[in-house]
Formats: sequence, C-alpha cells, structure tokens
Amino acid sequence: MKFFKLLIIGILLSNGLISQNINDLIVTINPLLNNHILILEKENTEGITITKLKFYLTNFSLTKNDKTVWSEKNSYHLIDISTPSTLNLKFKIPSNITFDKIYFLFGTDSLTNVSGVLGGDLDPTKGMYWAWNSGYINFKLEGKSKNTPFEFHLGGYSPSTVQEVKLNMNKNNTKIYFDVANFLNQIDLAKQHKLMSPGKEAQRLSKIAGKLFYTNE
Amino acid sequence: MSKNIIIVYLSLFAFLGLAMLFPTNTTSVKINYPDYFPKPNYNFNKNPLTQEGIDLGRKLFYDPILSKDSSISCSNCHLSYTAFTHVDHRLSHGVNDSIGNRNSPSLMNLAWHTSFMWDGAVNHLDVQALAPISHPAEMDEDLNNIIRKLKKTSYPSMFYQAFGNSKITGENLLKAISQFELTLISCNSKYDSVMAKTATFSLQEDNGYKLYKNKCSSCHTEPLFTNNQFENNGLEIDSVLNDLGRYRITKNPNDSLKFKIPTLRNIEFSFPYMHDGRYQTITEVLNHYTNNITPSNTLAKQLKNPIKLTSNEKVDLTAFLLTLTDKNFLFNKEHNFPYHLFFPKTKDK
Repeated sequence: MKFFKLLIIGILLSNGLISQNINDLIVTINPLLNNHILILEKENTEGITITKLKFYLTNFSLTKNDKTVWSEKNSYHLIDISTPSTLNLKFKIPSNITFDKIYFLFGTDSLTNVSGVLGGDLDPTKGMYWAWNSGYINFKLEGKSKNTPFEFHLGGYSPSTVQEVKLNMNKNNTKIYFDVANFLNQIDLAKQHKLMSPGKEAQRLSKIAGKLFYTNE
Repeated sequence: MSKNIIIVYLSLFAFLGLAMLFPTNTTSVKINYPDYFPKPNYNFNKNPLTQEGIDLGRKLFYDPILSKDSSISCSNCHLSYTAFTHVDHRLSHGVNDSIGNRNSPSLMNLAWHTSFMWDGAVNHLDVQALAPISHPAEMDEDLNNIIRKLKKTSYPSMFYQAFGNSKITGENLLKAISQFELTLISCNSKYDSVMAKTATFSLQEDNGYKLYKNKCSSCHTEPLFTNNQFENNGLEIDSVLNDLGRYRITKNPNDSLKFKIPTLRNIEFSFPYMHDGRYQTITEVLNHYTNNITPSNTLAKQLKNPIKLTSNEKVDLTAFLLTLTDKNFLFNKEHNFPYHLFFPKTKDK
C-alpha cells in the first residue's frame, strides 16, 4: 500500500513539475467595426451589418529583439465572432520569457492545404473548407452595407493567400484589434460584393485584410 | 478510512489517465501491391489502415445516409462490379433525379493518385468525398448534418472501435472513407500475371502490348496506366456542358479542355468513356484517336499528328486492353455491399 501511495504521489507530482514555471498568456482578438466593438447582426450608424466573421490565425510565436523566444506547436486557431470563447487565445509560455513582438499567420499555410483532412479547428465541419476546390477558406466575412449584401470568402493556396503579421506586444498589453471597416472601405461594394473562389483577387483582398491587425503598443 | 477512499479515487484517476494513453485494440491492415508498382503517393502514417477503420469506411461508402434525402450513397455512382464507376450512365446522377455534368470516374489504386476529379479540383484523397457530398447535383448534403444523423445510429460505436473515440468528427469520417477506398487495389489482371511471369500474352495480346507501348503509354503509363497528368485529348467540346476541365481550377488558359488522364485498368468494365461518357465502346475510343481529333491550342502534343492504327491493329490493341481486366478486383467480396455491417445478425452473403 505504501508503494502504491508513493506511486500515486509520484504521478501527481510529476504532473505538477511539468506544469511548473508555465504561465498562461491570454491574447485577445478584438474585432471592431469602425472603432466600435463589432456586434453581429447589429447595424451601425453607417448602415453596415456584419452577419459572419470567421478567420484562421496560425503559427503563433513570440519574439524578443527579433529572436524567436517561444512558438506554439500545432498552432491553428479558428476565430469565430459568433463563439466568443474563440476570441481569447490561451498560450502556455514559460514564465521567465520576455518578448516585445507577437508573430502569426493570417490564414493557413500551403502545406496545411495539401495535407488531406485535419482535425480540431481545421476539421472540415468548421465550414472553412472548400469542397469543390481543395483548400481552406482563411477568411469569411458576410453582411450587408445598406441594402447591398456582401460575402467574401478568401482563401486558397495557389496563389497563396496566407499573410504574415508581426505586432508589438508585451505581457501587460495583449489585445489585438481588427477593424472590419478598414477592409470594407478599401473595396467598392457597388462593383464587388462577392468573392468565393481562390485566385489572384483572393490574394489581393487577403493582403488588404492581413494588414488590418494592430495593437496599442 | 477517508484517506483510503481518497487513495482509491486518486488511483482510479491515475489509471484512467494511463488507459487514455493507450489506443483501443485495432487490427492493423497492410495493403499489398506488386513490386513493380511505384511507392504510393498516399501517406499511410497519417491514416494507418485498420480493419475497424476499413469496415467503417465501407459501411459509409454504401450508406445513403450521406445524402440529403438518404436516397443515394457513394456506391450509386461507383459500383464495385464495374470498377467502381457508373455503367450505362454518361453523367453521374444525384438526389432528386438531378444529373451532374461529368462521368463518374472509376475508383482503383487511389493511393497512387496525385489529384482527384476529372479536373484535379481535389488535392488529397481524404477530402475528395467532400465534393460529391456537398454538390447540389450529387448528394447535396452538409458534413455537420451527416454527423447529426450518424449520431442517432450505431455509428458512434464503430467510430470508437476504429478511432478510439465515439465522437464523430469530420476528420475521422473522411479518414474512414479513405481507408476503405485505399483497399481498392487492382493488381491481379492477366497483364499483372504476365509481369509476374506466371502467364504469357497470346500473340495477339503481345502485338497489342507493343502497339500500346508505342502509341498510348506516354499518357497511360505502366503499371498504373496513367501518368496522373492532365491533357486535352482532342474531344470536340460539348456545347451544352461547355466543360473547360482543368481551366476551371487553375484559370490558366494553357489548361483549357484538359482532363485527368484515366487509368486503362479494367477498361472492359468501366464504360462509358471520357469525362462526359460520350463513347460506349473501346472501338469508338480507338476511332476517336485515329480519326476524330479536334485540333486546338492545348491539344496534347502526342495527338498533333493523328495516331495511325489499321483495323487489325485496333483488334490486337483491344485484345491487350482486355488483359487489364482484373476479376479478382471486380468480384472481390471485401469490396461489395457489406451485409454483415448493415445487418449484423444475418450472415454475410
């Protein structure tokens, strides 16, 4: 019995040891619509309503003086504004790490797009996979501007639509902002209100969307 | 006393934790293929074949639950007895009597394919099934809805047996279908026996083999009888379907009218032929290549000058093509409708 007790204590202790010196870093994604918190299905003063906003953020890492000090394994996060828990990214990082920048990809890299079916946030049940033309939809934005409905599904890996993002960040300020209005303002909705296939145009619009992330650092 | 209870609880917790580290008992399956086949393109390490996974995939393949109104299954357009294509239908049929715009392709030796669909729209076997499942003129169904339906059946226990988790995910559902499809290997035709030196071609077949090597093999390359590329084989465009093939996917004008080169294995049983099923017989196909090539900018370079075959040569070539028929594959009991999985109490017929 004594050996047994020791074994149990050993197992529990080793669990404890592994988790020692590891802290949670909560990074929050804050979608905005013209500097206001974005609320789905709510029309703003300019007559814009957003009904769907989903996108992939992947390959997170932290850097200090441009040197990577931490990176997340299997780093795939589907941000879905209709599921608020997805807006809080919880990273387990060693407590002694200091950093001044966060790095991530807006979208999924091309290897991910040719690796067959994947699970978790990448599972095709998440509605972010094109059935008729293999590849992930990296960014889905749907809604209407006055009475013009718009639907942008940006993705595809050939040409690549994934965008690198690097933002200033430290432990005391981990909020990332993303203002959808800055995307819509760069598109003439009268001419273009729909894009649902990969290609050069998806690449162009992804470049615009990838530049919209910012922090207050 | 209470201390002991705590210890019991803690040990239970610890053992449960340990048990979760071990996968459930599955029977691993290794695919067999001849040594003259190249290395498969499919990465089996990411989806190791198990008997439980194959059974699950086979049941899903034959289950109309995958379609919107539970009327059609994968096997409706991919029949095992005809090399998993839809004989007698030029174009595939879907829910509500809808008709698609392409001839359903045969399914065999899929582990060696590098792309799927006539236009190569799908880049991996695991995600291929998503295309017919969601296509409005095929199964017109949503993956999440399929999972909702499957949850109400005995499927969760099959998922548990196959993947150690009764929670049905899109990933495991698609991997199971792949597992079954990966077992559809055709490598027991007379041609294969000749390659293995356990049989010999007749004079006529041998002459046909030489003609094949000379006139057909650059695209329909041995031993899989396709080079997995896309070519325009000079079919006159169907003005109703107006199908530009690979161009739809790549938007590259050089890909206009190009389609995936199909295998010639089991060609005897996989009629009708071509992406739109326009030819019913091998003779019509051969006549197309000798007399009917429609010139265009993207025409395969091998067809710029028409292939010349005398009528006797066509007969010999056909005799060779018939040596690609693999009855072990076509009538394999492991491939057809799995009675024992749908009706566990009855005997497998």
